[in-house]
Amino acid sequence: MKKVGIVGIGTTPFKARWIEKTYYELAYDAAKLALEDAGIDKKEVGGVVYGIYNEFFERQFMPDVYIHNYIGMGLKPSVRIATGGATGGAAVFVGWTWIASGLYDIVMVLGVEKATDNYNYAVGHATPETLKAILFSGDMTFENPMGLTAAASYALPLIAHIDRYGSPTERQMAMVSVKNHKNAMNNPIAQSPKLLTVDEVLNSKMITYPFKFYDNCLYSEGASAIILASEDKAKALTDHPAWITGVGLSLDKAFAGERDDITIFTSSQYAGRDAYAMAGIRNPRKELDFAELHDAFTGAEILSYEAFNFCKPGEGGALVEDGVVEMTGDLPVSPSGGLIGCGHAVGATGVMQTGEAALQVQGRAEQRQVKNARVGLVQSIGGPATAWTAAMIVERIETATAKPGPKKKKRNQRKRSKK
Amino acid sequence: MIQNKEQWLEDASKKIKVPKEQIARAFQAELDGAPAIDAPLEIPDIMDITYKYSYGGISRFFREIRDNRQLYGTRCPSCGKVWLPPRINCNECYEPTTWVKLGGTAAIVTYTIVYYATSVFYGKTPYVCAFVRVDGADTLIMQNVFVNDVRQAKVGMKLKIQFKENRNGDMGDFWFVPAEEAR
Ligand SMILES: [Zn+2]
Repeated sequence: MKKVGIVGIGTTPFKARWIEKTYYELAYDAAKLALEDAGIDKKEVGGVVYGIYNEFFERQFMPDVYIHNYIGMGLKPSVRIATGGATGGAAVFVGWTWIASGLYDIVMVLGVEKATDNYNYAVGHATPETLKAILFSGDMTFENPMGLTAAASYALPLIAHIDRYGSPTERQMAMVSVKNHKNAMNNPIAQSPKLLTVDEVLNSKMITYPFKFYDNCLYSEGASAIILASEDKAKALTDHPAWITGVGLSLDKAFAGERDDITIFTSSQYAGRDAYAMAGIRNPRKELDFAELHDAFTGAEILSYEAFNFCKPGEGGALVEDGVVEMTGDLPVSPSGGLIGCGHAVGATGVMQTGEAALQVQGRAEQRQVKNARVGLVQSIGGPATAWTAAMIVERIETATAKPGPKKKKRNQRKRSKK
Repeated sequence: MIQNKEQWLEDASKKIKVPKEQIARAFQAELDGAPAIDAPLEIPDIMDITYKYSYGGISRFFREIRDNRQLYGTRCPSCGKVWLPPRINCNECYEPTTWVKLGGTAAIVTYTIVYYATSVFYGKTPYVCAFVRVDGADTLIMQNVFVNDVRQAKVGMKLKIQFKENRNGDMGDFWFVPAEEAR
């Protein structure tokens, strides 16, 4: 397998609504940002992998088809990934295989999502209709009629976990909400930067037991693109590419009632195991410098610590209380603000998180920079009861000549000369 | 600007199956104001499709519920696993399964309480969604559990099945209640 570098990153703001842009217009904005960041022309892109989750969000089936030439990629290879909340991460996974296989030298992974063109006229806002659009992803015969929501889908394994281990507590979950809202204050694309107290989270309105309002991420609209490149191309384009050194993808039993153990995020365990093995990580708690986890709901972040072996099952809540996962701790989780702080623009989310991890290891994460970030984990969860997980290890590899620092000047010069 | 507002509302109401007053409220700015020519323009729209859906090989599961108030699972003759929801083959053994009659007692394995639901479930909140193990089944089935106070729901709670009076042949035909409350 060939080495895969990340050489360009572009993310639009994640917003409650992008009334002024359609999904393909948002896709264009992210594509342009990423190409500019990489310092390449669109002609150099070998193919595009799209991450777009929900047809009813976009008001369009096969939405990728209409993006492809809208961003000037007509006739190039293209495929669209839809794996629920894990759509963005799975799109990165597939883009990675296109480079690792040697098939292409430069690949764009582009995630985009609308969600709030959905509109419930009876109550006068989007959310109930957005939830309804998601519910079509539950098995239509056995699960859709039961009134399950995305939050409920995460709450089922979580309640079983709490019943077995007595944790996480609602207070520990609230601390995750406070942390991620706070981290988002350092992120210019974030939808929900906020200074909250634990009590404000605990006292917010119950949405789906045990999740209160501030335990939930918000639906968001936005787009994110990254440019992946083969080793030679990556080194030619930048002195300090971020490398995707490990990937993993797992789809658990979607009828969660068939699982052997419903208290753990088994797909995250499997995806993590594979990504760690590929990247040569044996002790993630020590070797990882940060992680961008899929905190669609606070409790999910804590169960993910356990699934990814940051700690033993049942001990995830303690990592929050001990401050380990804070920006000041020794394994900061979701410096970007995560889904709770940034919003969840579903197909774009996993791409944005991977881009964030790349910015961290390149030393380009500005206010949210984790000191000496060398290796990070990205997790993207989706599907009924966290069925899907895509996991990526993003790394900076020190060589004698290449050190983190500003981009090669010639890239910008070349870009300018092309205009 | 919309030329004939009354006609526009009538057409929109027919198109998206929403009362005119609700559409008028949502589009008040467009109807009453004078938005700039380059201001974002929204339209009422709907994606709608009807079905005559076949349950295929598990049709008997819903016929037994609808016609006989009887819960059935399926058993794999090779490994003995009892599936509920039923399936007509086993994914381990790749063998066809056979139908097996189940009783109406069960227990909660895990659950949640939904306070904020989709538009389809308005007026029903809060309600309990649970993974339930029906006695005799090896897998869990998702179902609603109706309790007087939703906060009574807990892992391990013993349940009994209840069937709806007028059954349609879908999962809404039955639900569970605490065993001691069953009538
Ligand atoms: Zn079998």
